[in-house]
Amino acid sequence: MSQPLIVLRHVSKNYRTAAGDFTALADLDLHIDARAFVVVVGQSGSGKSTLLNLLAGIDRPTRGEVIVGDTAVHTLSERAMSTWRGRSVGIVFQFFQLLPTLTAAENVLLPMDFCGTWPARERWDRALELLERCGVADQAHKLPATLSGGQQQRVAVARALANAPALLLADEPTGNLDSRTSETMLELFADLVQEGQTVVMVTHERGAQRYASRTITLADGRVVASHAE
Amino acid sequence: MQSDGKQIRRGRALLGPRWTKVRRDVLQHKVRTVLVVLAIAIGIVGAGAVLDTWSLLRRVTRGEFASSNPASATLDTESIDPALLERIRAMPAIRDVQARRTVLGSARTASGWRTAIFFAVDDFTAIRIGIVKPESGAWPPPDGGVVVEASSVEFAGTSVGDSLSIQLRDAVQPRMLPVAGIARDVGLAPGWMEHVVYGFVTRATLAQLGAPSSLDELQIIVANRGLDREGVRRIAFDVREVIESTGREVTNVDVPVPGRHIHAGQIDSLLFTQGAFGVLALLLSGFLVVNLIAAMLAGQVREIGVMKAIGAREGQIAWMYLGLAFGLGLVACAVALPLAAFLGQQYAEFTADMLNFDIAGFRIPSQVILLQLAVGALLPVAAAAIPVTRGCRISVSEALRDFGIDHVCGSTNRRLMRYSRGLSRPMLLSLRNAFRRRQRMILTLTTLAVGGAVYLGSINLRASIRGSVDLLFESMRFDMVLRFDRSWPADSLEAAIAAVPGVAQVEAWGGTQAAFAGPDSMLGNTFPLSAPPAASRLFVPSLRKGRGLEPGDGNTLVVNRRLLADEPRLALGSEVMLLINGQTARWRVVGVVDTGPSPAAYTWRETLAKVTGDNRMDRAVVESTVGGAASQLELVQRLRTELESQGFAIQTSQLMEQSRRVMEDHLLMVAGFLGVMSQLMIVVGGLGLASTMSLSVLERTREIGVLRAIGASHRAILTMIQFEGLVVAIASWILALPLSIPMSVVLGKAFGRIMLPVPVILVPEPSGVLRWLAVALVVSIAACAWPALRATRITTAAALAYE
Repeated sequence: MSQPLIVLRHVSKNYRTAAGDFTALADLDLHIDARAFVVVVGQSGSGKSTLLNLLAGIDRPTRGEVIVGDTAVHTLSERAMSTWRGRSVGIVFQFFQLLPTLTAAENVLLPMDFCGTWPARERWDRALELLERCGVADQAHKLPATLSGGQQQRVAVARALANAPALLLADEPTGNLDSRTSETMLELFADLVQEGQTVVMVTHERGAQRYASRTITLADGRVVASHAE
Repeated sequence: MQSDGKQIRRGRALLGPRWTKVRRDVLQHKVRTVLVVLAIAIGIVGAGAVLDTWSLLRRVTRGEFASSNPASATLDTESIDPALLERIRAMPAIRDVQARRTVLGSARTASGWRTAIFFAVDDFTAIRIGIVKPESGAWPPPDGGVVVEASSVEFAGTSVGDSLSIQLRDAVQPRMLPVAGIARDVGLAPGWMEHVVYGFVTRATLAQLGAPSSLDELQIIVANRGLDREGVRRIAFDVREVIESTGREVTNVDVPVPGRHIHAGQIDSLLFTQGAFGVLALLLSGFLVVNLIAAMLAGQVREIGVMKAIGAREGQIAWMYLGLAFGLGLVACAVALPLAAFLGQQYAEFTADMLNFDIAGFRIPSQVILLQLAVGALLPVAAAAIPVTRGCRISVSEALRDFGIDHVCGSTNRRLMRYSRGLSRPMLLSLRNAFRRRQRMILTLTTLAVGGAVYLGSINLRASIRGSVDLLFESMRFDMVLRFDRSWPADSLEAAIAAVPGVAQVEAWGGTQAAFAGPDSMLGNTFPLSAPPAASRLFVPSLRKGRGLEPGDGNTLVVNRRLLADEPRLALGSEVMLLINGQTARWRVVGVVDTGPSPAAYTWRETLAKVTGDNRMDRAVVESTVGGAASQLELVQRLRTELESQGFAIQTSQLMEQSRRVMEDHLLMVAGFLGVMSQLMIVVGGLGLASTMSLSVLERTREIGVLRAIGASHRAILTMIQFEGLVVAIASWILALPLSIPMSVVLGKAFGRIMLPVPVILVPEPSGVLRWLAVALVVSIAACAWPALRATRITTAAALAYE
């Protein structure tokens, strides 16, 4: 049995809204193994994105512990969190979130530039390799606005992999893609897992479970089902 | 293709993706960036030009004045010979001594006969005190020729090779002397400003002209350069005792402030005032940087969130935007520094000319350029620091949830609605939009309003200067002053002048030099004592303190404020000992008055005659029946001809209107530079408005698209944007009005202290308010033209797709 990469203990997340307090996650306990392809499903408001944000260090839990690898993420300062996130987590967003004034290759270079993870001379070659790996090397010098949605999302995946993170988090990565493109995107994630990457993906995509090693179903901030495929 | 790819790769890798992003973000908003760069550049030009001028003048005045080796003191005596010079040189407190002769006379210029002062020494090649620098033509002056001092060349209307008609005080006939050369004496107040022709002639030439040629002016340099004015004065009075011990009389001892040019304080203060406005313009341009960076950050909240999500630290993102501000500052410096240097050089030349210095060969010190570069590059960084710190502090989750521009604040909205009933819906929308980004609005308003306040302040200052000059000249109810080659009984002089057609009234005045005699027998600097007849109708001074002269007064005098500033011991009510024509007598100061720009004291001519024992007068003031400079000049010529035929030779004449105009023009010219500063600030304000409106259009692209979709025409969109700009312009017009009052008072006080012997009294110029409104409206229309045009070019489809 492999060592869990992610451990959540008694994690709760409350939000204060105009309508009153809202519990997004309630006393969640979760272990996710390394090299797993975990799909998190659930209805809107079930706490999927909150879970992902806690894993990425974008949000902090109201209570409980979030441990990724050897790091107690919930204890990190804002500055340490940025550094940890840059080096340890790759994030893929639903709306791609590529910086519009940078080319595809430059978007991939950016995390390496911020985190200084690779020697400056090697970054460009790595960026091209990653774009190649994601099937968009021929788009390296184009600006995001000139790429299709699928191509942009592939570039976003390449960017997420730039610093060779232990964990790849994807928030509805196919939510803005047509079904054919969604399928190839899921295949890409599955391939990455095959190559040793851990992927946690929040999705509404029913077909995604075919590629996953484990599906977690959330409802009202709690895990209501978790089964390996 | 591969090689192309590698070329791109290397080029971009050098810059780094984050700086590539910054560069491309800037290039995406070229117009807005250019506006901000221009605004910073204008600020740097304003402040830099004054700094360049100041540094150049400081170098020139200090260097040139010091290298001329100015006299520590000057003593007027008679027949100075080598034995006397040796005796004084042997005094331990004296480093050097030199003798010269100063002769008063007239020179014929294009506008008639003017006062001329000629200097003669034994050997012009051996001048060690008050060194004269030859500029062109011959030096030393040849026998029978004259070298004209550079600052009076233009005024005299002469040049090398011309001839100058000269009449010396003691000579019978005017003589023509060839102008052999031009030389500069930096210790002299400029001839063009003083209306005096200065010349250098040999003693032999003086003799040829029929004037005494013996040397009568002793210039000394004290051994201890660190002495203050009082210390030097003590030594000068020791020298006086030595001279008097030889049986010679010392009629005057003049001790200037050691090591300081006579106008240095004024110029320092003037440049300081102008520099303050330059710095203000620079600070206002900083507001634009705040607006630009704040808007850029507001538009990039989501990108900031993404960068943080992929590992960027707050500091790294902050440096990107601060680096951008630094870059904008550097570009602005590249544009502004050469222009500032050019303008600074020109202004320094003008000011140096006013001070009788030649700036040729002097360069702006490199450290001053570096200072401007540092300020120009770092000020935008400092201005950007607040919005950058605030913008970069946003958390990733907040940034990724950003929805863009906030709605108008509820209470503001309600207030606006209440006060703007009757406006159409599009106009209401414009009004609301203007206040949507309150911080940006406040900065834009402040920039324009401060510019407007300085503009109004400079307009008021011009009116106030005219008022103050009026005040200075209102006591002199005559049109001209005539000085004669010798003294005459008052009655005969007045009768002869009154008989000339064109003369309305005439008064013969007495006049002499007086000096304050201290209890330790030390004298103060001399000052002119004028003596109109008792119950004079042509001299009605504006009384500031005490009382005026009254018939039957004994040894009483009134002093003007300029003299009081120079010699505070002549305060109202004080009893002072004055040395007049070698006689020491006790005088009482009964009043303080405002009369003319020069230091002066007044007593009745009858009183002066009693003190001096001489009731003859050498000057007359004349009120003419004709107006206008040309007619009055004609009257002067007529007076010269007719009086000379009766034996009354006029030595010099002075038209009051001309003196007044020269003074007023000179002051207004200096005030004009303040006006230029205010215009620079308004331009900065206009650029700020243009930048704000361009941001506003950009941020509301989607909203404009919606308006287009529901039927808004080009014209309606154009009007909305222009109306929004007008709201800002009118608000700044209103805000500038109260701001201009303290601004005018401060300007008037500063200017009065620097340039005028009387305080500048605030004279509000009502037309200025309307002029400022016109300027604000023009600025608004011009500033909104481009953003409005851009707004009309937004297509509905593009606008609705805009995120």
